[in-house]
Amino acid sequence: MAEEITLSVNGTKRVVSSALETPLLFVLRNELKLTGPRLGCGMAQCGACSVLLDREEVRSCITPVSYAVGKQVTTIEGLPSVWAAEKGLSEADAAKTLHPIQQAWIDEQVPQCGYCQSGMMIAAVQLLAKNPKPSVAQIKDAFTNTPPSPHLCRCGTYAAIIDAVQRAAKVMRA
Amino acid sequence: MTVKAETSREFPITMTLTRRGFVKIGGALFVSLYLPGQGSATRAAKNETSLDPSQLASWLEIRDDNTILMRTGRTETGTGMSGYYAQAIAEELNVRPETISLLMGDTDKTPDGGYSAGFLTGMSNVRKVSAYTYQALLGLAATQLGVPVSGLSVVDGIVSGEGRSISYGQLVQGQHLDLKIPVTGQPAKSDPAGWVGITSLDGFTVTGDPPMKPVSQFRIIGTSYPIPSIPDKVTGKTQWSCDVTLPGMLHARMVRPATLGSTLISVGEVDKKQFPTAEVVKKGNLVAVVSPDEWEAIAAARSVAASAKWTEWTGLPGSENLTKALREFKWGAPSESKGKAADVIAALANASKTISASYEQPYVRHAPIGPFVALADVRSDGSVTVWTHSAQSQGLRARIANALSTPVEKVVVRWLEHSGQYGRTTLGGDGAEGDAAILSQLTGKPVRVQWTLQEDLAWSTVSPGWVSDIKASVENGRVTAVHSAFYSPHMFDPRPLGTLLAGMPSSTSKPGGWIATEWPYDKIPNRLEEAYGMPNLGAESVSGGLRGNIMRTPGQRQQNFALEGLINEAAALAKTDPIQFRIDHTTEQRLIDLLNATAKAAGWGPRPSPHRGARRTGNRAVTGRGVSIMVRQNAYWVGIAEVAVVPATGAVRVTKFTIGADCGKIINPRQLDRCMKSGVVMGLSEALKEEVTFDNGKVTSTNWNRYKILTMEEMPEIKVVQISRDDKGFGGCSEAANAIGPPAVAAAFFDATGIHARKIPLTSAYVTTLLRS
Repeated sequence: MAEEITLSVNGTKRVVSSALETPLLFVLRNELKLTGPRLGCGMAQCGACSVLLDREEVRSCITPVSYAVGKQVTTIEGLPSVWAAEKGLSEADAAKTLHPIQQAWIDEQVPQCGYCQSGMMIAAVQLLAKNPKPSVAQIKDAFTNTPPSPHLCRCGTYAAIIDAVQRAAKVMRA
Repeated sequence: MTVKAETSREFPITMTLTRRGFVKIGGALFVSLYLPGQGSATRAAKNETSLDPSQLASWLEIRDDNTILMRTGRTETGTGMSGYYAQAIAEELNVRPETISLLMGDTDKTPDGGYSAGFLTGMSNVRKVSAYTYQALLGLAATQLGVPVSGLSVVDGIVSGEGRSISYGQLVQGQHLDLKIPVTGQPAKSDPAGWVGITSLDGFTVTGDPPMKPVSQFRIIGTSYPIPSIPDKVTGKTQWSCDVTLPGMLHARMVRPATLGSTLISVGEVDKKQFPTAEVVKKGNLVAVVSPDEWEAIAAARSVAASAKWTEWTGLPGSENLTKALREFKWGAPSESKGKAADVIAALANASKTISASYEQPYVRHAPIGPFVALADVRSDGSVTVWTHSAQSQGLRARIANALSTPVEKVVVRWLEHSGQYGRTTLGGDGAEGDAAILSQLTGKPVRVQWTLQEDLAWSTVSPGWVSDIKASVENGRVTAVHSAFYSPHMFDPRPLGTLLAGMPSSTSKPGGWIATEWPYDKIPNRLEEAYGMPNLGAESVSGGLRGNIMRTPGQRQQNFALEGLINEAAALAKTDPIQFRIDHTTEQRLIDLLNATAKAAGWGPRPSPHRGARRTGNRAVTGRGVSIMVRQNAYWVGIAEVAVVPATGAVRVTKFTIGADCGKIINPRQLDRCMKSGVVMGLSEALKEEVTFDNGKVTSTNWNRYKILTMEEMPEIKVVQISRDDKGFGGCSEAANAIGPPAVAAAFFDATGIHARKIPLTSAYVTTLLRS
């Protein structure tokens, strides 16, 4: 049965009406119209649905919405404001500044179809928070061996992702 | 009034520029197509393209704000076509590419039909449309400025001459101008009894020869113009096909049969206490659960599926018996044959050395990260609108009209981006669109059908498994004859699953083989290529069985694995370096140049394979290197793989891959770099991991732990070599890189172990068996 649930999504309080066991993904997409996270496997095997819960990557396709209550949910739509807050950017600057990871994804022309890339960028945020200067081997390890599963890209953009993570890392360290 | 374009005397074309009238606000030049001798294609094809008469069927619009809109039925598939088209238009019109926007794939808003696989024909269209328009704009400017066309020059959309200048926007301001340019062809049509179920895949083709900018003057083609859709994809603003919602829309989840051939015995109703707004909808063997709430549809469908009863069916051989099943089939005569049989048979019979080998690969599949999704709105007035990410909108439209027995002019297909699909919808079928249209017709509401990954990996079309018997004669270090025979279930059955399960009209599956190889070795004097076709495995079933479909670099990917494997075996027999051996068998200088450049980049030192330390036993890794080539669509490819094999465990790791391409004039070097590297990843995935498994009734590789694809950690260092040529036209380079990996990896495996790997994927289980045999 649907219940009223209060969430904190991309820095804003949002009230949704949803069954408690509904996966967060469907609440974000269908109720809040945040379509950055996407349905891939639906069983935490690919990473297309990844979002941050209190700065930790989760697979929103298997995370019940009830689990997100009291935590900060961040999707790619919210990454620019995460960066603006970290850097203390003015409102004017924040409005025209993407998160360095998003900018690097554009500068390196990473997406082909782009379906998996929302999750890839979320994984990059998590990686760079823990390791600001990852080597190629460490990037490959993080995107492959971090539980619960590898982040999969069927178009095969892995090389571009590595380029973009390193580019973003440089900007974020500066 | 008709404005005569002054330049029209200089080239034999029949374009006409007409001023329809003056307008108070705005103004634009609309470029539309017409079929010479048949009046306007806009009118002739009105029913076919379902255009809103108030909106011209224009291909290109030059607007008074100096922006340009291109409308094309061809679509972006992730390989950058939307960027290349903008570059080509900008080049011919002398404008900045940023001023161009593209509207793609909507059948009611684009005039030309066509499909994403036809990049070269699409590129030719785009360039010619722009070239005609450029001439018309020059004519208008000549009149406005009082300067002859020969005295005009254009930079960034500003026409200048004799000290005066005017922008394209100013030229069209306050006017409504029509430019009609000549075309041939038609949008894709339903052809239920035909080879793939639709015809006219390429849509309209522009005719005539308008003057086009010489390659030497290109300023935009050849630069790394960024793909316009990327910023929105990265920030979450893109509307994907899975994001479309309509008022009153129902979410559907399908309840599929127990096996590919099971028919429905019974299905219960939903438990209304648990799922108050969900309903079961069915037609024939098509069963779904719909609900206004997506999660309720999912949960209720699971519950309904658990109690549904289906008949048993065991019409598949089981994937472990695939080779046996293919060998036992009575193939009859080849579906296609090229070459001189008598000469080849004589050469093989008289040769001092011959090679005879069989190559094979199991079923593989497109396996998009995003399972298929579609939304359909079938109204009581008979109109049908389908939202899709199909790569062949007009073809899909024809199939939907055929399935619903609806006139095609009642059907509109709207295209949006979604997960890559690698050829799966090139023929306008396979996807959730059939399900969605049928369910919307049954419920009278808009229905969004989202397949699950398990469903996508079990029920979508597949790239069929195959075997190839290939023979060669070798005399004095040269191949004198090649005979190849390729056996495979056919790869042309993209029928939408929903139409089959519901028993609605669909096309007929037409078994047949196909020779896709473009022959690179012109110095081999005798060759005979044969392709044999058979029906889908399990064809005699309600679903059509394992429906074969084309997949990235179709046919050639498979056949090139066998051919390049044979050439590597022949080089080893001749004790010749495999790159030199290839150079010895071709006169094609582009290929020879590319082989040399790629070898240099890879640090290749000439020697025969296998290398002296090759080993088939032991716990320590042995290393090897191997090469493969391919010619396809005016493009040349070379791949050099370096591998490490641990014989005791059968573990194969690709440690480095160097890929070279010459595709004539390179349009966008950075995107080509991206396509080459990502193609290598997909190719290595096939070489090392991919296999569709099935038991006697159903596919069993239905999640990412069972259908394994390459991960980032398994990707080797990839080096890229590009050769751009100004005098060879454009080549097709977006897709083919995937085909170059597997034969190079197999050659490197032989170099390392001394054992020919004639089958992929090189899983540890297969490799340990192979090395012990």
